[in-house]
Amino acid sequence: MSEVLLSLNGVSVRRGSSNVLKNLDLEVSGGQLVLLNDKNGGGKSTIIEAAAGIHPLETGEIRHHGNVILDSSGRSKQPQLAFGLTLQSDGCIGSQRVEEHILNALDVVGGRIQIDTWLERYNLTHRRHDLISHLSGGQRRKVAMLAGILPGFVGETPRLLFLDEPAAGLDEDARTALVEDLQHLRERGNCILLASHHSDFNACATHIFRDNELNVNDSNTSNVHEMVDIKTTSSQSGVVFRTGLALNQRTLSTLASNGIAGFLTLGMLLALVDSSAIDSNLIQASGLFLSAAFAAGLVGDSMVAMLHEHRALDWWKAHRQGIPNSYLHALILGAGLTALTQLGYDQDISWIIVTIGGLLTVSTMFVIRGIDLATSRLARPRAAFTRILTPILILPFALFVQWITDSNLL
Amino acid sequence: MTKRIAETILLYGFIGIGTTLGLAFLAAPSVSINAFESPNAQRIFYWHVPAAWAAFIAFGFLFVGSAMWFFKRSNAGWRMHVAGAEAGLATGLMTVWSGMVWGAAEWGVPWDWTDVRLNTFGLLTFLALFLVLGRQSQPDGVETRDTFSSFGLFGFVLVPVTYVATRLWQIRHPGPVIGGGEEGSLNSEMGLILLVGAISFTLFIIGHMLMSMRITSLEQRLESIQEAMDKV
Repeated sequence: MSEVLLSLNGVSVRRGSSNVLKNLDLEVSGGQLVLLNDKNGGGKSTIIEAAAGIHPLETGEIRHHGNVILDSSGRSKQPQLAFGLTLQSDGCIGSQRVEEHILNALDVVGGRIQIDTWLERYNLTHRRHDLISHLSGGQRRKVAMLAGILPGFVGETPRLLFLDEPAAGLDEDARTALVEDLQHLRERGNCILLASHHSDFNACATHIFRDNELNVNDSNTSNVHEMVDIKTTSSQSGVVFRTGLALNQRTLSTLASNGIAGFLTLGMLLALVDSSAIDSNLIQASGLFLSAAFAAGLVGDSMVAMLHEHRALDWWKAHRQGIPNSYLHALILGAGLTALTQLGYDQDISWIIVTIGGLLTVSTMFVIRGIDLATSRLARPRAAFTRILTPILILPFALFVQWITDSNLL
Repeated sequence: MTKRIAETILLYGFIGIGTTLGLAFLAAPSVSINAFESPNAQRIFYWHVPAAWAAFIAFGFLFVGSAMWFFKRSNAGWRMHVAGAEAGLATGLMTVWSGMVWGAAEWGVPWDWTDVRLNTFGLLTFLALFLVLGRQSQPDGVETRDTFSSFGLFGFVLVPVTYVATRLWQIRHPGPVIGGGEEGSLNSEMGLILLVGAISFTLFIIGHMLMSMRITSLEQRLESIQEAMDKV
C-alpha cells in the first residue's frame, strides 16, 4: 500500500452564500488518479482548489504528504514538496511567454526537465516564444495543463498534481496524449486529483469520486508502460522576482501607471509652485521633492491587476512562494522622480532625499498592494473601491516630511 | 409597537438633536474672546463632540459585529457590521464636516495634515465609506463578509489611536473633553448642553443602527426566498 499523499479531513468550504463542501473526507495515495466527475455545480473545482489550499476552510484540514498545509483556523504552511496545478481558468498571465510559464511551474517545484518533447507532443514548439495572450483558447489550455502535469516528472519523489478540467478545449490528439502522460505520471507514483467530464479519463483513473463517495474504477484499462528516464536539472532561483522583472520590462506597466502619476504630479508642482517659494517658511522642501515619488507609489502595484487575468494570482498564491511584484522598478522610478524634482527646482541633488524618494515609492506601493491583495478574494475585486483607503498614507507622509525638516536632512 | 421601536428611538434622537442645536445657539454661555479666535464658532462644539461620541459608538458596534462574523460566523454580527459602518459613515461625516467649519474659523484652515486626531478620525470615516460602498459593489457571500469584516477589525485600531492622539501629539486639537481630567473640565451649563447632545446623538445612532439591521435582515430574507424560487 502506497503512502497517503493527500488528505482532506472533515473539510467544509463556503463560497458565496452556499456551503459547497460539507465535512468532506478524502484520502488519496501515491500512484492513484482520482477522477472527479460529478455534475455541474457539484463542487469539483472547489475540491481541487481546497486541496491546493486556495480556499479558506470553514472546518477541517488539508494535509500534503502527511503535513497540515491549511486548517480551519486559517493556519497555512508552505507544502514541503511543491505540487502541480492547473486551474479551470488557466492561471497564466497573458503577457508571459509560453516557455516562461511552463518553466516557472518547474522552478516553483525546484527542478527543471527538458520541455521540448512535450511542446512537440502538444504541437506548441512553434509557439514557445509567443505571448500567452496571442494563443487560441485551446493552446492556452495546453500551456496551463503542461504547467500542471510537468512538475510530476521532476525528480524521483512522487508529487501531488491538481488538474481542473485539463482537457477542456483540447483536440482529440491532445486528449489522447494527455491520457498517456497521466498514466506515466501515475506509474511514477504521483497522486493525481483530476476534475473532468471527459470519458477519456476513465481509461487511466484508478478511482472515481462522485456524490461524496470514492469508488474503485473498474473500467481502468491502462497498461503498465515502460518507465522513461527523465533527467532533472537544477531550477533557477528567484522565480517570483524574475517573473516580476520580466513582466515589467516587457509591458513597462510600472512606468505606464505609476510613472505617469509621478510625472503628472511633478509637472503640476513645477507649474504651480514657484522655485523661490522653497526658501520661504511656507514650503517644506522635502515634502515638495518627495511628492511625485509619493504619488507614484499611491497608484499601487500594476502587477496585481495583471495577475487578476485568468486567475494567475490564485495560481501564485496556491504555491505560497510569493507573488511577482514591481518593487525594483518602483525603487528606480521613485528615486528618479525625486532627483528630477530637485533638478526642476534648480536645486543640488541630495542623494539622501533621492534614496528616501525611491524607498517611499516602494513602501507606499507595498501598502496599496497589500490592500489590493486583501480584497482579491472578493467576487468583484476591482469594484471594491480600495482607493478610498489611500488617504491612510497621507498622515504618515506628512509626519515623515516634518521629521525630515526637523532633522535638517536637506 | 416592537416593530416601531427603531423609528421611535430615531424620532427621539432627532428631537434631542434639534433641542441641542437650539440650546447651543440660544442658551449656551458665550466663551471668552481671549481664549478663542472665533468665539461664536465655538458653538459648533455642541454638535461636533456629540457627533464624534456617536461615531465612536458606531465604530465600536462595527468592531464587535466584525469580530462576531469573523470568529463566529454570526449573521447577527454581520448585520451589526453593516449597521455600524453606515452609522459610522453618517456620524463621521457630521463630525468631519462640523470640524472643518470650526477649524476654518478658529485655526484659519479647515484641515491640517499633521494633526493626528483630525487625520485618524478622517481615516475612520474613509474606512466606513469604503465598507459601505465596497459592500454594495459585491454580491453578498462569505468572501465579501470575510474581507470587509477583516478591514473592520483592522480599522478599529484607529479608535484608541484617535482617542489618545491629542495626548501623544497635541498639535491643534485640544485634549479629550470626556475623560480628560482637569484639562477637559467644562462649566456646568456647557456640560449640561453637551450631555443633552450626547444622549440625543446616542439615541439617534441606536435608532439608525436598529433600522439598518432590520433592513439587512429583510435583504437576507429576500435573497433566501429568491434562491429558493430559483430552484423551483
